[in-house]
Amino acid sequence: MTERVDRRNFLRGLGSAIGAALAADNFDRLAAVPEQALAAYEAALAQADEANAEDLDTIERMRRELVRALQKPPSERRWVMVIDLRKCIGCHACTIACVAENKLPPGVVYRPVLDEEFGTYPNVTRRFTPRPCMQCDNPPCTPVCPVTATYKNEEGVVVVDYDQCIGCRACLTACPYGARTSDFGLTYTEEMPVAEGLIAGRTTTETYERAANFEYSQPHPRVERTSPIGNARKCHFCLHRVKVGELPACVTTCIGRATMFGDANDPDSLVAEMVNKPNVMRLKEELGTEPRVYYLV
Amino acid sequence: MTKRIVYVLGILAVVVGTYGFYSRLFVGEREVNYGSYVTWGLWVAMYLFFAGVASGSMMVATLDYLFEIPLFKGTGKYALWGAMVTLPAALISIGMDLGHMERIWKVYLRPNLNSLLAQMVWGYTLLGVVILVALWLVVRSSGGKPTRVFKLVMVIGLVMAIFVSGGVGALLGVNASRMVWHVGLLPAQFPIFSLATGVALLLTILALFTSNNDPHRSQQMRVLGIATILLLVVKTYILWADFSMSLYSGVPQNVDAINQVLYGPYWWSFWIVQIVLGTIIPIIVLVVPSLARNRLLVGLIGILVLVGFAAARANIVFPALSVPELEGLATAFSGPHLNFDYFPSLMEWSVTIGVVGLATLAYLLGIDRLPFLKDTTEVAR
Repeated sequence: MTERVDRRNFLRGLGSAIGAALAADNFDRLAAVPEQALAAYEAALAQADEANAEDLDTIERMRRELVRALQKPPSERRWVMVIDLRKCIGCHACTIACVAENKLPPGVVYRPVLDEEFGTYPNVTRRFTPRPCMQCDNPPCTPVCPVTATYKNEEGVVVVDYDQCIGCRACLTACPYGARTSDFGLTYTEEMPVAEGLIAGRTTTETYERAANFEYSQPHPRVERTSPIGNARKCHFCLHRVKVGELPACVTTCIGRATMFGDANDPDSLVAEMVNKPNVMRLKEELGTEPRVYYLV
Repeated sequence: MTKRIVYVLGILAVVVGTYGFYSRLFVGEREVNYGSYVTWGLWVAMYLFFAGVASGSMMVATLDYLFEIPLFKGTGKYALWGAMVTLPAALISIGMDLGHMERIWKVYLRPNLNSLLAQMVWGYTLLGVVILVALWLVVRSSGGKPTRVFKLVMVIGLVMAIFVSGGVGALLGVNASRMVWHVGLLPAQFPIFSLATGVALLLTILALFTSNNDPHRSQQMRVLGIATILLLVVKTYILWADFSMSLYSGVPQNVDAINQVLYGPYWWSFWIVQIVLGTIIPIIVLVVPSLARNRLLVGLIGILVLVGFAAARANIVFPALSVPELEGLATAFSGPHLNFDYFPSLMEWSVTIGVVGLATLAYLLGIDRLPFLKDTTEVAR
């Protein structure tokens, strides 16, 4: 009984303290903290401008390199992705960021993370391998397309023309990495109960789910039997973001900075530095597909 | 009586198929079990099968209209009509499989002719035209000797039938990442499979649906029966060559795919349907002269051979796709249509049954209603 009273008193005291702090305009000070932090960060970046670019957070460095690459003609860029498997902790944040960015429906995934376990106790280890589209320089998926709906664009990224694709899935069959999925027209919300007005109700959430994504810088609202429903879909290195100077969603969300992206034709770029390391490898190199996704092991 | 029963079965099959057609055309691909990993399912297997029967029937028709073998006089029109009804069945099956079937015109107007798929669409369309022209010439010739033009059409038809049926094998074989498909033997074996199904179809038709007015009918059936035996033996040898090469190579992806067929989820389709029902029983029945003289039995054996070859096509398609391309891919992300275990859904079966029913009814209506297909006095010599 005494304990309960003490706890109640404690909570009451805490509430009073918060109230007093707010009353004393402390709220403004607290709210100003993120702005101060941002200002401090911007100041540090400004200083870094004059110093070596390597001092920057890799995200900021890659963003600047991206903007620099965008000054060049598209055909002179060579977008590559480097994934440091030693830094990947298997959080799947990149997978989810990709799903959110591209509003991927059930059964469509661009960047799963392969989770493998090796050894027997006590010598056990796990390996996480994020697997985006490899954007191969010799892609087996493009020549099989009967209507040239999938091809390498001038930046070397393998893209899909949603309005041209007939949905034969020949490209899915041809991909040695299983990097393409087909959109069968499902939605996450269709099984939800109808609860109009509630944030979790189908009416509200379906409105969000049906709203357009912006892959390939085009709006693609989710309308029954309209592309991309019925199409082959795949990772496109977030070209719609890259085009406006933003890094792919999987890169910015990687908490371990394990995923790097940039123009390998820029000798000063982070990715150019990484792809020339001796511990770099690519998946199924023996096939000669020349993937543009490199792994550091 | 047999024909009536088959009519009823055909109508029932179409009724069953109505559900599948409705679901596919008005609901979409939600209810299918193929997906992003097992990318091609029952409908693609049936496309390969029906397309094979069509090109095989074209090959068989040349016995009458190109090579003018006296014993087969009068049988060519049945084979050509068989090709005529099975080709649309193939196209319906593959059309249902397309995510955007309304865009099929793009393959004609904006094709990538380096793609084997585009080549097959063009190839089978042209084969369809050749079959139509051949049928028109049959009508015009009224049972007379084939003209030079007719023979030329049949030569074109024969060459095209061999190439397009090999082409569907190449359609799978060019996928270098699917090691079990990527063998030169694959496109080579498809024309043999096609010929076998063409022969089996004609055997079934002659045994079940034609009258006895041709005194050489039993001899025709005997020769077609022996041809079926030979082709089944060749098929089995190819199967042995294919499987043993893959198994002895020891490459895990190959071995896994073959093990899927032999001991995996498709074992019954291979051992029971393809080997026992589709190969061993037909060989036994067709080898024993007393059994091989029973028309009803021979007709049913023809159907068993066809079913066995349909299973064989499926056993080529699914198992190769059921092996993950990368270790860990199967469990990396879960969701509908992201599965390496495939068994056709009710809706997929429904569509396939409906297609079989439509083809059966079309064939029977043709031989009952089309004047040039009705039994005539045209007999073998």
